[in-house]
Amino acid sequence: MVPLSWYLILAAALFCIGVFGALARRNAVGILMGIELMLNAVNINLVAFWRHIGPDQMTGQLFAIFVITVAAAEAAVGLALIIAIYRQRNTVNVEEIDMMKG
Amino acid sequence: MTLPTLNFLAILPLLILVAATLLVLLADLVVRNKRVLTFLGLLAVAASLAAVLLVRPAAPTFQGMTLADELGLFASVAILVATGLALLLALERTSDFTRRPGAYVALLLLATAGMIVMAKASDFITIFLGLEILSLSLYILVGFAQRDARSNEAALKYFLLGAFASGFFLYGMALIYAATGSTNLAEISKGIASHSASLPFAPLLPIGVGLLLVGYGFKLALVPFHMWTPDVYQGAPTSVTAFMSVATKTAAFASLIRVLAAVWSGDRPWLLALAGLAVVTMTLGNLAALRQTSLKRMLAYSSIAHAGYVLTGLAAGNDRGFEGALYYLIAYTFMNLGAFATIQAVQRRDQNDVTTEQITGLSTQRPGLALLMTVFMFALTGMPPLVGFFGKLYVFSGAVQGGMTWLAIVGVINSAIAAYYYLRVTVLMYMGGATAAAGDIPRTGWAVWTTLVITAVATLALGLWQQPWMESIREAVTLLALR
Amino acid sequence: MQQAIFIILALLTLGAALMTVITRNLLRAALWLVATFFGIAAIFILLRAEFLAVAQILVYVGAISTLIIFAIMLSRGIMDPDQVRFNGQWGVVGGFAALLFVVLAVIVTRVPWPAAAGGAPVGDAPADAIARLGAAFVGPYAIPFEVASVLLVVAMIGAIIIARERE
Repeated sequence: MVPLSWYLILAAALFCIGVFGALARRNAVGILMGIELMLNAVNINLVAFWRHIGPDQMTGQLFAIFVITVAAAEAAVGLALIIAIYRQRNTVNVEEIDMMKG
Repeated sequence: MTLPTLNFLAILPLLILVAATLLVLLADLVVRNKRVLTFLGLLAVAASLAAVLLVRPAAPTFQGMTLADELGLFASVAILVATGLALLLALERTSDFTRRPGAYVALLLLATAGMIVMAKASDFITIFLGLEILSLSLYILVGFAQRDARSNEAALKYFLLGAFASGFFLYGMALIYAATGSTNLAEISKGIASHSASLPFAPLLPIGVGLLLVGYGFKLALVPFHMWTPDVYQGAPTSVTAFMSVATKTAAFASLIRVLAAVWSGDRPWLLALAGLAVVTMTLGNLAALRQTSLKRMLAYSSIAHAGYVLTGLAAGNDRGFEGALYYLIAYTFMNLGAFATIQAVQRRDQNDVTTEQITGLSTQRPGLALLMTVFMFALTGMPPLVGFFGKLYVFSGAVQGGMTWLAIVGVINSAIAAYYYLRVTVLMYMGGATAAAGDIPRTGWAVWTTLVITAVATLALGLWQQPWMESIREAVTLLALR
Repeated sequence: MQQAIFIILALLTLGAALMTVITRNLLRAALWLVATFFGIAAIFILLRAEFLAVAQILVYVGAISTLIIFAIMLSRGIMDPDQVRFNGQWGVVGGFAALLFVVLAVIVTRVPWPAAAGGAPVGDAPADAIARLGAAFVGPYAIPFEVASVLLVVAMIGAIIIARERE
């Protein structure tokens, strides 16, 4: 059997790769991809906890299903926003999308 | 297999809101006069408010997924009032910023539903879903001002930071689930209280709560997670800013209060961490607000500072502090909505903001608006006998009672700093010579006047007349059973 | 045996995830993202969460990746191979991410998990897991289930409104 902590380390690594992508990328789509990695990492955590802590209650898996649902909804709205910005400015680089200061 | 009986009465306010949303979207297709849609929305808010107040199911409902307790009731009322006022505020001006008034009303109602879900939810899954409904609706609403290029930009920034924060929020929830074996707040609380050896929560719980706080911090605009606030508040249509600045805070703080009451045994280090967060939040918010020339940006930074004051009440860690925090949320709902309503009234039809220059000498052109703005600025400053004063009084006295006199002193110093920029607005309105042409300010319609009068009266009256609803607040806090 | 499979899968998933965030060409990054999603689905199967593995592939690979690839192709120029990948603070951010990883990893390994000695799960995954999931959705989780559908309504209205705007 694979120990629980192995899964958790995998999830932590994936989460941090996602954090890096979300914070370091200049392109809004790239940032969104980083965020998707973070949400996936959470799902690994949830399912691993379900399996190792309480497989009788489906809480972990249920939570993961809701996270997937939310991720899909977020991606749809986010990408629509990104395309709307692109039409307006011809760029999706977050550093160039910066009219407001102060 | 037997299905549990569903107590639909318990979620009647939500059902009304969602049904009304669909109705508005359908009516949008046939109705020529789009104001009807806003009236439909107002009707739905009124019906939902009536359902909240009149239908009182026994708590908890739906297998503990939501709670119908006093705190939920209190937050629902505050949120619905904010929605109603925001709808009224936009009634005559929707066409200024969008060609889709139907979707505007629909999304406002859906955001409200999400906020109520979040405020009443007693399970991590429901809290998260409520948060996401309100967030997604607001991302879209923030981008609604099509004529203002900043609106879209604000929406994108808000979305990216919000989604990023959701990741931390979820990670925190997952760790707390691992530590206690449940996502239900009541179960979590029991798990921690029994402290049984089989639960490995020693290092997991603090880290989980910390990550959860990052998520709440983003939504509440606590420093250091506040950077989106000024851009989003400035770029969003003014009525949306008015709505989100108060209603999101109510929903997220109500939820945070629930979570804190469940996970937390009132340990000193935790309280100190919250106190530290409160100090940097109010100080940085107020200092940044000092040098703003855009009124919306100024109020954005000021809203950061006000979140810090509310947090002061939570950091106090006693009943009085929590009561103060709840009182503050109600007070803030009225005074801040009023301030944004005045901005909406002064703002030119083709603009989405008001500068300090534009309000200079407002008293000669629009004495009524100037007077009301003065009331709101005084209330935000915290002058007696307006609501803002009592809000500050209660949270600060909570801090003193909790043995954090230094925190109360920092709060008072902050209020003094804040007085400078609030009163500057008043001084400019009354002392400055008029710079803006009188014709620039559109005629103020009855709906905006109604909003202004309601908020102003509430700002005054709720300070003077507290007895009945303070009891509701006390009951809400007693039910939380802080340890 | 399972451990060997896990290590291979984990390395593949992490490698693909790393490529997702560092690849210069965004379209390629999106394809690496798809590979990551597949790796995670395989991990779910290893955890005996087959339903979730299928949902993962359907939703993430089938829907989300497709959306992302569409968005990339609809906005020409963002695949430009010469463009800068990262913003100025990527070094600091990298340090922060590494630190976060160390903190999270240390914590999860220090925790005295129940039955941590063998690291084995406390019980077997129930054979009727999918039936239980279904029952939970109409039973105790009826409210979250309904609320999630409201969320999808929001997303639908939002995506249509934003994307249809042509002015």
